Amino acid sequence: MSETLAARSTSRWASRMTTGLGGLLLQRLFQAGLVAWMVGTLTFVLTRSLPGDMAYRIAAGRYGHDMVNTSAAEAVRAELALDQPALSAYFGWLWDLVQLDLGRSLVSGERVVTELWHQLGHSLGLATMAVLLSLLLGPPLGLLAGLKPNGVLDRVSEVAASVLRALPPFAVGLILILIFSVSLGWLPAAGHGRSAHSVLPALTLALALAAISSRVARNAMADVSQSAYYAFSRTKGLGERLSFMRHGLRNAAVPVVAYLGVQFVYLIEGVVVVETLFAWPGIGHALVHAIVARDVPMIQGTALVMGLMFVALNTVVDLICYWLDPRRRSA
Amino acid sequence: MSAYLLQAEDVTIQGEGVTIAPFSCALEAGSRLTLLGETGSGKSLLAQAIMGTLPRGLRARGRLVIDGETFDAADDKSRRALWGRRLALLPQEPWHALDPTMRAVSQVAESHRHVAGRDRRHAQQAAWADLAELGLAEAGGKLPGELSGGMAQRVAFAAASAGGAPIVIADEPTKGLDAPRRDAVVELLARTPESGGVLITITHDIDVARRLGGEVVILRQGQVVERGPAQQVLTHPQSEYGQELLGAEPSRWPRPAPLGETAQAPVVSATDLAKARGGRELFRELSLTVRPGEIVGVVGPSGCGKSTLGDMLLGVTRADDGKIQRATGHPLGFQKLYQDPPAAFSPHWRLSRLLDDLVRRHRLDRSVIPPLMARLGLDERLLERHPGEISGGELQRFAILRVLLLEPCFLFADEPTSRLDPITQRSTLALLVELARERRCGVMLVSHDPALIGRICDRRISLGGEPVSEVRQTLDPALA
Amino acid sequence: MNGSTLTSTRRLFLPTLNGRQRLGATLLALLLAFAWLVPWLFDADPARQQLTRILQLPSLAEPLGTDHLGRSLLARLASAVRLSLGMALLSVASAAIPGVILGVIAGWRGGWLDRVLGSLADAFLALPGLLLVLLLVAIAPGNFWALYVGISLVLWIEYFRVVRARTRVLVASPQLEASRLLGFGPLYLFRRHLWPELAPQVLTLAAFGAASAILAMAALGFVSVGLRPPTAELGLMMIELLPYYHEAPWAMAQPILVLFVLVLSLNLLAGRDPR
Repeated sequence: MSETLAARSTSRWASRMTTGLGGLLLQRLFQAGLVAWMVGTLTFVLTRSLPGDMAYRIAAGRYGHDMVNTSAAEAVRAELALDQPALSAYFGWLWDLVQLDLGRSLVSGERVVTELWHQLGHSLGLATMAVLLSLLLGPPLGLLAGLKPNGVLDRVSEVAASVLRALPPFAVGLILILIFSVSLGWLPAAGHGRSAHSVLPALTLALALAAISSRVARNAMADVSQSAYYAFSRTKGLGERLSFMRHGLRNAAVPVVAYLGVQFVYLIEGVVVVETLFAWPGIGHALVHAIVARDVPMIQGTALVMGLMFVALNTVVDLICYWLDPRRRSA
Repeated sequence: MSAYLLQAEDVTIQGEGVTIAPFSCALEAGSRLTLLGETGSGKSLLAQAIMGTLPRGLRARGRLVIDGETFDAADDKSRRALWGRRLALLPQEPWHALDPTMRAVSQVAESHRHVAGRDRRHAQQAAWADLAELGLAEAGGKLPGELSGGMAQRVAFAAASAGGAPIVIADEPTKGLDAPRRDAVVELLARTPESGGVLITITHDIDVARRLGGEVVILRQGQVVERGPAQQVLTHPQSEYGQELLGAEPSRWPRPAPLGETAQAPVVSATDLAKARGGRELFRELSLTVRPGEIVGVVGPSGCGKSTLGDMLLGVTRADDGKIQRATGHPLGFQKLYQDPPAAFSPHWRLSRLLDDLVRRHRLDRSVIPPLMARLGLDERLLERHPGEISGGELQRFAILRVLLLEPCFLFADEPTSRLDPITQRSTLALLVELARERRCGVMLVSHDPALIGRICDRRISLGGEPVSEVRQTLDPALA
Repeated sequence: MNGSTLTSTRRLFLPTLNGRQRLGATLLALLLAFAWLVPWLFDADPARQQLTRILQLPSLAEPLGTDHLGRSLLARLASAVRLSLGMALLSVASAAIPGVILGVIAGWRGGWLDRVLGSLADAFLALPGLLLVLLLVAIAPGNFWALYVGISLVLWIEYFRVVRARTRVLVASPQLEASRLLGFGPLYLFRRHLWPELAPQVLTLAAFGAASAILAMAALGFVSVGLRPPTAELGLMMIELLPYYHEAPWAMAQPILVLFVLVLSLNLLAGRDPR
């Protein structure tokens, strides 16, 4: 059973294995282009689906209700190219995107790129902390559990992982807030600035990630510890510790790291809700705000950055796998 | 100190429906012991009991004396300190026993370093020297996935014996290897006793046992049936089972009934076939014919295109060049038997249902089934089971039943008995040949065993190596 | 013959469940009963406000208490579970059916069709799922159908990829070749060889997919870009009740608990992750 699981879990990135490093990077570059095109197209559809008086409402949002006049609304209309025929507007929209001209926020009037720059820093900080924390929690626990499948540690960590996986990150966050901020008063619930602020959001994300990575590591380790080469390593006289260090760790690490790529989907999704819950001034928070305010340029910018972040993180995973697994290099 | 390197006294194994009767042996330096038996005879378990690697749920009892030191067989962990240093195990399926992510030379070097205690530089040198000696100088930098089965076997041998253990246990060391590679492995194994060690070999292959010599123990269902010097046991076995086992060797099979008149039009004929795979040419300008009732054998090393040739004749695979002519009037007359019987069935349905599907699909006459089943030695009750619930031999005979119902004119049998025990192999092939003769069905039989082909085939085609030739042979006894 | 037909149908559509899967099925059945029995047994309107009876403790009249607008939590939770499960069922069905069909076609036929379908799936995978849903929801805010389309578009890829990979292996397998040589057609091959292998995996994916659909809808509701009030939706209920945590912790806990049990039951039912 677990063998088939491993076989299946490797089939997902088997396609990555067959190509060399160059082809791999080229594939990721193509994916990045695809992300940009999809985000651009969807946000363009969004501009076209705005109701007729949207330009006025946006202008009102930006300049205040008293200041709104026809010229302000016209400015908005021009910014979104609402006055042009659809097709030319679409190509204009994509051309701006290619030049990385993301326009200005309809709400704040700031350049989108400037805002994104600030937000990205916050989000990356949070994401890095969360991933590091989850790597400290998940894989070591999983490896230990996998060395003794169906042992006590395996069962306990399986129950914990099932519970955590059934709770969405925002519910985990809520529970953490209720325990640590509201009831105990140890940590601040929301906001940003001191390092204490980052503990709860990072922990929330990390728990969700660790719940999965611990099980992936467990299955990988269980497969390795039951494999013929692990048994051979022991009978040829290497002993438990050396067998684990020389043959267990690397072979178990390959699927764990490869699965990180899938986990980044959870990370990106988690960032959206967790930042909103904790009022963390990052990209995810900004995206939700922009959607509520129908701030199209900001929606495009934030979605684009998140999509590209996803691609970039996956590229890093590819590179680590490439380095870890010599089979990919000689393929 | 006793003169024996390894002594086992009344070693038994019990648990999970397995019982291995008390087994004893005393091996002095330079001796060889071969445990011979079919699958399920418990021969591998005895090796595992000596090593202390029995699967969970099985318990060994008895006493082991290794190099003068006494161990309780029940205490698995007690022999771990000897692994690699006094006791070496050559694993089954060396391909899987090598770490797929580590280069061959490193897997040998780590034994030199961590087991034999050499420093890093010397360990590396010793590993390269070992590989060079085994003719693997170029393979050192390769990953196990890039090695052939025979190469992997030699790398595993080097890795297992780097620690210098005098007692070597080889568990089915020739499994899945073709004849020439099998002989090479036997030679390799013989080095241990020649240099004053002890070799214990577990095998199902009588030929391997004969070549290794020494003492042979025949096991059946956990019981020692017969033991003695190889010379004696393998030529004049005393026990009934021993005689049966030896009789299952192809060279002792009775010859099939002669083909008789061969003037009939061939069921399939091919001219100037060519096929390449992965940029490598498998064969070129290959011509052959198969006549009704004729058994044509195909031999050759693994990967030489034996299966591909048959699939081309069946029309499953396309030839790169050449012409194939099949007898007309038999749209379903071209059938195949597979190497691994369970793989040729969907495991989710009862055999009765699969048989019923076939009968209904082609509106077959049901009344022919019971006599044919009786002929094939298939009990009616087997039909109520799923393919995974009956033995490989029974399932292969069911496969024969299935294809014979369609009254085939040509049958491609792709190593149909290589996964079966020798005795079952003999009876299955005998039936196949008999039925083919009787029903005038041409058979192309693939095997990695030249003796088998030589014994029962009317003609032989050998692929790979030398230029392809169709050997028109008249049952050449030299091949047997 | 009849008996064996029965057992084989059972094998097909209800694969034998292990202990955990049975626990999941039981939990799910209880939730279903709760969601559909409540409107039958209680006269409870999830939208009726009674501002004189806000944040009341559970009582005989209101077995689960009331929320900050005096609405019956029992009625709202039952309604929310119906909404979540309905959405999950709908999006799983509309993802699984084309996903499985396209996967079988691509895996069986191979060639250019396989490459085209494969690239299409890769294109959808380029963007993290929730981002795609968010962008679609941005186009039509508060719209159930935008949410449904978005979630289905994300989900179908899993079915496609898993089914395609498995089909590819099976089509090249001896068992299929043997049946083909015996003269059986594609429909038979699918029924006897492919579907029995695919069904357990498709069911597992369906359970996981339902869980992800429910989580996605709740997440969007929670960050106020999903369905709009006064809809009774689990994520929305959580964020609405959050400010009243001090006065009514039991009210806050209810949607969290229901969502947890809902997702847990589906995850348990799914068995092992086939990815």
